[in-house]
Amino acid sequence: MKTVFINCSPKKRFCASAYFLFLQRLFVGGQKVTVRLRTPADYDRVLEQIADAQAVVFGMPLYVDGVPSHVLRFMEEMETFCKQNGLSLSVYCVANNGFIEGRQNEPLMQVLQNFCIRAGLVWGGGVGIGGGVMLNVTRILFVVDIALLVINTVLSIVNTGNLFPVDAWISFGTNALLLLYFNLGVLFYLARMGSSIRKGGPCGKKYTRILLPSFVFILFADIFFVIISVLQGGIFRGWLAKK
Amino acid sequence: MKVILHDLGSEHKELIESKCDHVVVADGRYAPCQGCFGCWTKHPAECFMTDKLQRVCRILGRADELVIVSQNLYGGYSTAVKNVLDRSIGTSTPLSTYRGGQMHHTLRYGKHDLWKVVVYGDTTQAEKDTFCQMAERNAINDGFSRSEVVFLSDLAELEGVL
Repeated sequence: MKTVFINCSPKKRFCASAYFLFLQRLFVGGQKVTVRLRTPADYDRVLEQIADAQAVVFGMPLYVDGVPSHVLRFMEEMETFCKQNGLSLSVYCVANNGFIEGRQNEPLMQVLQNFCIRAGLVWGGGVGIGGGVMLNVTRILFVVDIALLVINTVLSIVNTGNLFPVDAWISFGTNALLLLYFNLGVLFYLARMGSSIRKGGPCGKKYTRILLPSFVFILFADIFFVIISVLQGGIFRGWLAKK
Repeated sequence: MKVILHDLGSEHKELIESKCDHVVVADGRYAPCQGCFGCWTKHPAECFMTDKLQRVCRILGRADELVIVSQNLYGGYSTAVKNVLDRSIGTSTPLSTYRGGQMHHTLRYGKHDLWKVVVYGDTTQAEKDTFCQMAERNAINDGFSRSEVVFLSDLAELEGVL
């Protein structure tokens, strides 16, 4: 069985869609191919991959309550391609949005469902993830935690000859568990959808989020944007003003 | 101010211009959003791409009544119209608040009145249901107090609904 994972983020690097597709791949067996879909120049390569696939998993961000326009354009091409070639593969979707409620992805899921009907494909279902940007940050924090552990271990060896600095390992373990906790809902539903993809069956639409209270999430989101806006200078250029 | 955003051909130009204060033509001659958030964090309410949509959020943001005329595509806006909407998130700010019981961004231009969508082209019942939900979500997201969706069986009906 061949599954094609289509990363639909328009960003060149460090996109949340890539993170969630990476996680989704862990729960799918058989032949797995991941392709990027950023511009029309990618169409032929993506269509070539789906021609002999049994399942396609779209990974995309939510844009203005729906599918990003560059993906819509591709879906029109894909509809024609699938009809011309008599394809009837299963379509799944991992959508993420910046707001905390994963349920805000519902219209996007319906659009994909309607697309499948038009294209004669099988709608397998999807997972809508709230707090996608922040969950994507957790993977950086995990790498930072590993780096800190390595530095602390080296310092411990140099200073005391101790190969196993207990405090550093406890700190690493605590942080790793916290990051895992934030991702638990996502991991659960992606594992569930992975099982459906393996069986070639439907999994319905499921919504989850970063496991944080929304008021805490909003506070962190605002702090994040203030910092970015200071660094990029927008805060000094009429940040909130009517332009 | 009443603004009409549409993906119709030039044969409808005169009619549409007579029905509103400002027209945004979704002709597809522009790039899709790159998701950089620069219109929030670097150069507020302005896109880094220097095409006709660079400052389009400043027009849509000032609309009390926004009428979107779009061909149906899977229960959502046509690619050309959706592209304009994707490039217009500068109508809001990067800061967050609660609206309609869910998280949304605060509004750069304050509250608006009507988000109206006029849909043409072959549309199934499921797609109509999706479109109604989409318009309702868009209205909440962009701070419009109400939404309305009209499905045309023929474009000849357009004048009566604008």
